Amino acid sequence: MVDFIQTLVLGLALGGVFALMGSGLSLVFGVMRIVNLAHPVLIITGAYAAYWGFRTLGVDPLVMLPVAAFILAIIGLILYKLVFEKEAKSAKFTQMTVLLTFGTAMIIEGALGTMFTNTQRVTSPEYATDAIFIGDVFIPTGQLYAGIVSLTIIASLALFLKYSRFGYAIRATTQNRDAAELLGVNVNMVSMVSFVIGIALAGAAGSLVSFVFSFFPAKHWEWIAILMSLVVLGGMGSILGTVVAAFTLSVVAAFVGDFFGSTWSTMTFFLALFLVLLVRPQGLFGEKPELA
Amino acid sequence: MAELLEVSNVVAGYGDGPAILDGANLTVNPGKVHCIIGPNGAGKSTLLKAIVGMLKVRSGEVNFKGKSLKGKRPDQVLREGICFVPQERALFPKMSVRENLRMGGFLMEDKAEVERRIDELEERFPILRERRSQQAGTMSGGQQQTLAMARTLINKPDIVMLDEPSLGLAPKIVREMFSIMHMMASEGITVLLVEQNAMMGLKNSDWGVVLDLGKTLFEGPAADVLGDPRIQELYLGGKKAA
Amino acid sequence: MGVAMDDTSAVLEARRAHNEKLTLKADKRRATWFPLAILVALVCLPALQFAGNYNYVLHLVLFTACYVTMASGWNILGGFTGYISLGHNVFFAIGGYFAGMIFARYGISTIILAPLAGIVCGVVGYFLGTIMLKTRGPSFIISSLALVMIARILLDHWKFVGGANGVALPANDLPVEWAKLPYYYAFIVMAAFAVWASYKIKHSKFGLGLRAISKDEIKAESAGINTRLYKVMAFAISGAFVGMAGAVWGEYLTYIRPNIFTIILVSVYMVLMCILGGKGTIAGPVIGAILIITFNEFFVATLGASEINILATGLIMVACLLFFPLGIVGTLSKHGRLPRVLNWD
Repeated sequence: MVDFIQTLVLGLALGGVFALMGSGLSLVFGVMRIVNLAHPVLIITGAYAAYWGFRTLGVDPLVMLPVAAFILAIIGLILYKLVFEKEAKSAKFTQMTVLLTFGTAMIIEGALGTMFTNTQRVTSPEYATDAIFIGDVFIPTGQLYAGIVSLTIIASLALFLKYSRFGYAIRATTQNRDAAELLGVNVNMVSMVSFVIGIALAGAAGSLVSFVFSFFPAKHWEWIAILMSLVVLGGMGSILGTVVAAFTLSVVAAFVGDFFGSTWSTMTFFLALFLVLLVRPQGLFGEKPELA
Repeated sequence: MAELLEVSNVVAGYGDGPAILDGANLTVNPGKVHCIIGPNGAGKSTLLKAIVGMLKVRSGEVNFKGKSLKGKRPDQVLREGICFVPQERALFPKMSVRENLRMGGFLMEDKAEVERRIDELEERFPILRERRSQQAGTMSGGQQQTLAMARTLINKPDIVMLDEPSLGLAPKIVREMFSIMHMMASEGITVLLVEQNAMMGLKNSDWGVVLDLGKTLFEGPAADVLGDPRIQELYLGGKKAA
Repeated sequence: MGVAMDDTSAVLEARRAHNEKLTLKADKRRATWFPLAILVALVCLPALQFAGNYNYVLHLVLFTACYVTMASGWNILGGFTGYISLGHNVFFAIGGYFAGMIFARYGISTIILAPLAGIVCGVVGYFLGTIMLKTRGPSFIISSLALVMIARILLDHWKFVGGANGVALPANDLPVEWAKLPYYYAFIVMAAFAVWASYKIKHSKFGLGLRAISKDEIKAESAGINTRLYKVMAFAISGAFVGMAGAVWGEYLTYIRPNIFTIILVSVYMVLMCILGGKGTIAGPVIGAILIITFNEFFVATLGASEINILATGLIMVACLLFFPLGIVGTLSKHGRLPRVLNWD
């Protein structure tokens, strides 16, 4: 029983981090219909920002979080202006934008590799290696903190989307772009701001990742499929769905890892992605035939 | 009677494509229900889109209350007082009914006023109050259409334009929709609708416009349009249907 | 009446003249001798070895030929049919491991095994295709990425094929200046076959169906094309070419290892070569392969860092997609500027 609860707790702890990693991706897809394959490598960029702050200035990664988010927001703005602005206006996404984000991911990976080399990195604040015991069950402090921060950020995002005027505009654009425009929503502005927020979330997630996982530039390939499985299972574009999927899959993965060994826990995410594909053969993104 | 909206010789199309509208004319008088009929591909929806600025008007004039609407964006046209409901109702399916109504007042600065007008609308359309926190996408077609039409009233527009409001609705529900339109007209809100079912549309309207091949063929009181033998033959399915 | 007749015959005359002009244009533009001349030159190239050690040159040509085979194969699915796969290196791996393992156990040369490896990959491709091609557009791209990840984990942990360390294969015992020759000719033959086959496919009824699918799948289906079967066949055939190349590649490197066959860069190169050269054209993948391999060698030789190489590859991809998505051959022929020697379609 203790083992069972222990595995459950570890799964949930990881789910918190994955939830934030996936929610930015989900937001960008929802508003712009862009499957952003560069999202994971942007998370790693955020992790390097935290790593840099930790190593050179001795700043705690949690303190670096807003800084990382800000840096990534600027990168997001630049990317939007250079690469995606034209696409955002067409209001439909095509195969080309997937390849475009794929190419962007390679550019960033290469740039990170040049700057930081391909060595595995991790920030190591004291809590990263600590644990809290409740009875016989231990909770790694690092993952606990990361989970709490992640859920706080997601909750703030949800409140922002639910109650602010701009949140209304974002949701309206996600659900019916034409109707939103007719009611006076500046949909191009909404696209840009949502994209920037999404990428800033990648930065925030990155600083949490920096002390939960070890990372290096090429690691994002593995995360692409993991994050895709969350976003796809959660129903593309739904942030709540992504969060639920993150917790569900992380827990399942934790149990799979427990029974079959840790490499197979990663497999859980990939197989989940494949299974959803089989169950929903008409397409995960509701793409219309003429776009395919 | 001064014209509220005057469309003359408008040429418009999608992107760089061929002109769908090729010299369309339209006169809209205040406080009436206007119905545009015509076969598939005649340019009916295109005309509405050109008026609100979703499509670029290549040539011709669109004047509203004496001011040109040419080159204006949809939100600017909305501020001028024309509210457009595109086909398929244009709701936000995952927002609640109340939130959908709030989106109707997106451009209004005074949020308390928006809430007050929504309360008024719930008074007039009890179904909207009943369903206020239900997701709009889960309502029936008629309820959705009621919501879409009610939402236009938040802006207190001069003209409400509806693209095929009867699409996919049962005849009984369609009659209800037309009675809402007439109620709007009696309050001084001009209604301009596009209707695929020409006979039904004309019977329930005051003014009829026949559009084909991007040109306006005929404009006049709905009864005259209905009575015209040429129009009966070409667009209303002959004498039998009449 | 007479006037009307005159009009009709005038129109007919104009149409006939126009048609003749088109035929003339097509004839003048096709230059079959050019690819054949290249082929002859490449066959004779190893004679250089009599003059000195040109192993590096042979390696580059061989490497390019390997990618011409793969990119031309990818092009059948990605170019003709319009389904972008980022998972085709899985076939590279299956071909490599299949032939490599038989070679390691029974000593049968992978060059002999290559056609068999191609067939195996075709069969695997057929089954994978029936599952994966239920999706389209972006979903298909994502599923193909997931396929690579799954293949990587499986190969990393399959003890029989050596896990992450892979299996070492014996090198041949030819003198060093001739050691590359069997593989060199194998790849040249495969590349030539792939280019010839994609030409034949493009101009067959099957190829016409594939191109109809890429234009509009619904219309293609309503025109009576069995789109499901066509797509799956395109997937299988394109996988077969990639698998053939993979088979010989392992023996050439003298080892098979997951991080050779399943790194995403292999897939990216196939995609990029086709996009850069011109998706759906015959010459496109060849031109793309030559350019990308040249770029690649340039970056590795001058800058020495694979990170810069990745960055540059990404830059080429993004620039290409943003500024000339039709690729070199596509863009040139759209503007009527395609040199005769590059029109292989």
